Amino acid sequence: MSNNAVTPQARVGTKQANFKAYMRRYGTLYLLLILPVAFFIIFRYAPMAYILSAFKENNIFKAPWELPWAKNNGFEWFIKAFNDRTFINALRNTLTLNLLDLVCGFPAPILLALMLNELTFKRFKKITQTVLYMPHFLSWIIISGLALRLLASNDGLINILYKRIMGNPDASIPFMSQNSWWVGTYVVLGIWKEAGWGTIIYLAALTGISPELYEAAAVDGAGRFKRIWHVTLPGLRPTIITLLIMNLGRILGSEFDRPLALSNKLVTDVSHVISIYVYQRGLQNSQFSLSTAVGLFQSIVGVIFLVAANSLAKRMGERGIM
Amino acid sequence: MKKLLTLVLALAMLVSVCAFSASAEELVDGKFAETKHITVEIYNRNNDGGTDPTNNVYTDYIKQGMLEQHNVEVEFVSIGRWTEVDDMNTALASGDAPDVCVTYSYPTIAKYAQMGGIVNLNDIGGKKLEEYKDILPNLWALLGDNNIYYDQDPESGNLWAVEAKLADNARINTFIRKDWLDKLELPLPTTEEEFYNCLVAFRDNAETLLGADAEKMVPYSTSYDIGWRNDLLFMAYVPDDVKDEELFIHSADDRHLLYPNYKEGVRVLNKWYNEGLVWKDFAEYASDSAHEDDMMKAGFVGAFQHNWDYPYRGGDDSIQANLQRNVGEDAAYIAVDTFVNDAGVHRKFLAQPIDRKVFFPATNDEPIASLLYLDFISDPETIAFLQLGKEGESYNAVEGGFEKLATTGDWLQNSLNNIDYTITVNGLYLGDATEVTTALGYAPVSSDLISIANAAAKADGRVAGYFNVGDIEAEQEYGTQLPTFRDTLLNKAVTAPVEEFDAVYDQGMQDYLDNGGQASIDERTQKLADVYGYTAE
Repeated sequence: MSNNAVTPQARVGTKQANFKAYMRRYGTLYLLLILPVAFFIIFRYAPMAYILSAFKENNIFKAPWELPWAKNNGFEWFIKAFNDRTFINALRNTLTLNLLDLVCGFPAPILLALMLNELTFKRFKKITQTVLYMPHFLSWIIISGLALRLLASNDGLINILYKRIMGNPDASIPFMSQNSWWVGTYVVLGIWKEAGWGTIIYLAALTGISPELYEAAAVDGAGRFKRIWHVTLPGLRPTIITLLIMNLGRILGSEFDRPLALSNKLVTDVSHVISIYVYQRGLQNSQFSLSTAVGLFQSIVGVIFLVAANSLAKRMGERGIM
Repeated sequence: MKKLLTLVLALAMLVSVCAFSASAEELVDGKFAETKHITVEIYNRNNDGGTDPTNNVYTDYIKQGMLEQHNVEVEFVSIGRWTEVDDMNTALASGDAPDVCVTYSYPTIAKYAQMGGIVNLNDIGGKKLEEYKDILPNLWALLGDNNIYYDQDPESGNLWAVEAKLADNARINTFIRKDWLDKLELPLPTTEEEFYNCLVAFRDNAETLLGADAEKMVPYSTSYDIGWRNDLLFMAYVPDDVKDEELFIHSADDRHLLYPNYKEGVRVLNKWYNEGLVWKDFAEYASDSAHEDDMMKAGFVGAFQHNWDYPYRGGDDSIQANLQRNVGEDAAYIAVDTFVNDAGVHRKFLAQPIDRKVFFPATNDEPIASLLYLDFISDPETIAFLQLGKEGESYNAVEGGFEKLATTGDWLQNSLNNIDYTITVNGLYLGDATEVTTALGYAPVSSDLISIANAAAKADGRVAGYFNVGDIEAEQEYGTQLPTFRDTLLNKAVTAPVEEFDAVYDQGMQDYLDNGGQASIDERTQKLADVYGYTAE
């Protein structure tokens, strides 16, 4: 890319000539940019005008700017949500599940990538990678079906084995039916599904680390773990920080199909998350203003986390993403 | 000169518009002078081997009939049966809903009516629905004032939907394995105690009944939908002398959760669960209903409650037919009328004779043509054709009724008796021929089993009185989340240890009430007092 940079010679002459020469050279690139920019304007920025409906009366047949303001200076729906115990529960559950996902799920692909990186047999490594990617392509509906057949308290395969081993027909592990066990199942299944896929970006970053560094470390007497600690991990650090910041931005976002498919009526206390709340109260009940308000709240919290994480990273000497 | 020209032109336009609208709207012998076009919602069930729900021999009949009788072109638009509320919401919100819509969810209609998205049937062309009675003889004959005005607002007179007729209000039955009872030399149970003894006998004789599969024995099965799947057991605990008004106040939930003394019924199920009589994993299989059916088909389940004809539905693929294939010819689920209340009556609370709700979205430009569609679809002749098909192809006439034939290809009905097309009626509606036809309608399942089940489901039935107090706003607000609280409460209570039952149930009920249940009770109480002057003693 460096040979494409504007050469010092081009700077000689008037500004206009400069611009012309620049456009002649790169104009087609800007032309290519028109479509994606149009996409973002039409489908990402223009719809933001409808955020207004979070502060307006609930009516899907009129544009929000034609509608009167909602009660309480437009904050009716926010007040309603925060007075609703169902919402507060959903908020708590979303935070809990996402934090656990972050704490347990975030390091998983890093560890996996490090392990894959240490494999020497090329073919074995390739096959392992492919197998690890596969769960990513299964939908949560399919995984929930598999999970039930494996984990159901009495006729699930694992519990059948467990009963045999314990020699007690009443022994069983309530993977799907007790709140804390269910949360564990939820997190572990999430790791199982996505950890392999998550390694891709780290493996790509690993290829960028110069082999000379490893050789130098080896010459200095570093063993395998020392090399991982002092060469590989520092090489991955920018990638890790970037992904961490982006994950923190999604701390209040919630998946829909995952909790919905894995949940059952015994664990709704912990499985009812914001997306399900929005689905039940918003889509099924046609309360579009309320669900817009909830969505706006989610986004604002997400942005706050994103910005805070970013500035923290910068203060610690990292590059950040903004 | 210029002015005059403008005036003349304007006049000419006005005259032509008037002439046009007069001729277009005028009905001569029920026919429009100019061909009208309407779209009609049809459920898509995506069934195996089914036909295109928008284009088959049945829709051809409807299209042809509407064109001949009323000069109206009909186009069908499919909506997913299993996602109907969501799909309907999307269609209404985006203005793409068909001209004639049907849904099971009245709150959806009420919600959109508030936003101005639904046609007021009492204000079509400035006229009340009654003024169209002359051109709607079949609709009126089928539904009657009760179903037509069921949802009319008592104050404003607004009418957003008419209620289809529920032709057969058989609801739920208790089924038990007849061959197991015979094997264990037990009579058909006639009380809760006898029924309980049967379940215990099933559990204790698992080896005899299932041999090597003894571990898989499920004496009694239920699903996470406890309220529906155990209704007859719970209703036996509701005092017989409870007033219609009290039932109305406590009927936010269609599973009767708020009926008096309901808890005691649930307590019985909790006891059974803890004694190992109930399928252990029922609550966990919330997203996989096929598993329970498979257990029944394999012959592991002794008894259960479900829709009155559930094990017989589906002909060759029914639970009953599968059971016979897997276990033996004499294996059978038979309906038993078992649970009696404090007055010694086999009480069943049956539904009002209402079913789906038919409405026109505000985007409907042809409300009169749409009303004529409802009339056409309510014509006994139309209903008979849609429910039966063609003699020799899909049915044969027998004494006192009709025997439906197993069909594939063109004459296959995507829904049982084509209820998806007969949107104003649910259930066979063939006059005197109904009873025999119903019993013969489940081949290869024996018609005796069907007759027994149909009679049992309605014996001692009570239809709680209806009070039209207008929309219950609390239920529009919380209606979609309350069933979740109900199911959570019931699932937890049933699976709790016996000694914790009270605490779990009371806590769950408190959550239910706090999250909209109490608001519904209060509003119903208030409105019943306002409109009917009722106050509890």
